[in-house]
Amino acid sequence: MADLKQDPPALAPESDEEEDLDHDKITLLPGSSQDGTAASFQILDEDHTLGNPLRYLIMKNPQVEFCGYSIPHPSEQKLHLRIQTFGSISAVDALYKGLDDLIDLCNHVEQKFTQKVSNNDYSIVEP
Amino acid sequence: MNREGFVPPTQSNLAAAAAGVSSFKNYGIKYVCASCAVPFTLGKNEPVRCKECGHRILYKARTRRMVQFEAR
Amino acid sequence: MEVEDPNLVKIEHDHVSNVYSTDLPGVDGTSDFAWNLDTFKKNFDIRIHYLTDRSANFDLINIDTSIANAFRRIMIAEVPCVAVENIYIFNNTSVIQDEVLAQRIGLIPLKVDPDALSWIDNTVDEKDRFTDENTIVLTLDVSCTRNPHPPKNVTDPKVLYKNSSVYARDLKFEPQGKQIEKFKDNPIAPCDPDILIAKLRPGQEISLRAHCILGIGSDHAKFSPVATASYRLLPVIKILKPIVLDEAKKFQKCFPSGVIGIDSKGEAYVKDPRKDTVSREVLRHDEFKDKVKLGRNRQYFIFNIESTDAMPPEEIFFKSVRILKTKAEYLRNCPVS
Repeated sequence: MADLKQDPPALAPESDEEEDLDHDKITLLPGSSQDGTAASFQILDEDHTLGNPLRYLIMKNPQVEFCGYSIPHPSEQKLHLRIQTFGSISAVDALYKGLDDLIDLCNHVEQKFTQKVSNNDYSIVEP
Repeated sequence: MNREGFVPPTQSNLAAAAAGVSSFKNYGIKYVCASCAVPFTLGKNEPVRCKECGHRILYKARTRRMVQFEAR
Repeated sequence: MEVEDPNLVKIEHDHVSNVYSTDLPGVDGTSDFAWNLDTFKKNFDIRIHYLTDRSANFDLINIDTSIANAFRRIMIAEVPCVAVENIYIFNNTSVIQDEVLAQRIGLIPLKVDPDALSWIDNTVDEKDRFTDENTIVLTLDVSCTRNPHPPKNVTDPKVLYKNSSVYARDLKFEPQGKQIEKFKDNPIAPCDPDILIAKLRPGQEISLRAHCILGIGSDHAKFSPVATASYRLLPVIKILKPIVLDEAKKFQKCFPSGVIGIDSKGEAYVKDPRKDTVSREVLRHDEFKDKVKLGRNRQYFIFNIESTDAMPPEEIFFKSVRILKTKAEYLRNCPVS
């Protein structure tokens, strides 16, 4: 019995994770370059709320030559994101860096706001 | 569910229904007086008048049948 | 002449200019605008002006429009909130139609902590979908009656009849299962008890049950936790040449009160640009044309949040930041296929 407990099926945790992943959330659109430095992505169920900050942060990356997003049709919950880099990094890396930067930014805003609220140096009545 | 005394015609009462004679007693329909708001039932041949105040404008009472709505 | 602030949106008498963000690498060869968390941490600031039970006013300084706008959009459309979704009408003899009544009740903000409820799972069979974990039941049972002994010569329906007006406060919470314990300390009620739902006359009755669930504003406005969530850019007024005495008084009158002050020497100075509406009235007067410059700071956002009272405004903003972060994290973990 003890042996059985120590021997979990090697694939089980991985396949569990695979099931949780949302494979449709982000897909590669046609029109990417061979070396992967330019690519278009389609993101489902996202809009300007995520698209615009992400576009801004990806454009902040000096290795990125171009980044733009669009919502091809207003009644389809789809977001298209185009990234072209100067060649030193791949488009996917630029996307991931943009997302990481957005997470960092949110963490700081959250921390700063919590700190400022707890400072109690503001008015509690509307002027 | 009470459908206010309506009985669909069947083989046995069809003849009576065709002749315009009801074979059922207690053919009361619920009404509400428009003036004094008293609820009461009125038979087929009774005069259209409130039983309390004699007012002649009556509302048919709504069934208490549940209806579902989306609050949108 | 001093270097012009790149973040100043210029507002002239008939047009605006310099409207786009230019803080991107490659736009300006001299400085590197690459994303740097430490630089952001150094520059970014929040100033809270007031924070009341229902409203908040604070500034986000040195952040881009795309991000400030994302927070605003999330507060309006994506912060979850509880509202009435299904209404079961047993009787409604009032003059207001069932579907209109249902819609009115749906729009009443409820004081329920959204974190106390779980999401409805639409894949579950309809019979088992609503439980004490995800649904709150409210009842409304009112019937109007005559006041048996009204004072003479009174025509006021409020005196003549009982329950002639149905208010939001008449919605009563009916705890289900574990909810008695769960909501013991903060009983569920409408945020504003005085909202008029319907008017009744003697003999009329409303009897219904309302099921409240969690939702988001993009699905229906009733699920939005805010009445308004908006931002504006900080107005910038630059006085280029001294404006004195009588001219200063006229100059002061071109702005809302409190924006321009006059010092002891009779010279006008900018006292509080936050109060300005940027009406551009001052630019209509030829004498001031060359003495003042108007603009707005592109990186200075004055947020104003009015909560419906389901949760405090600071919590709404906090949640909006969390939601944006969660979106990014979720996408980060998705495989590109």
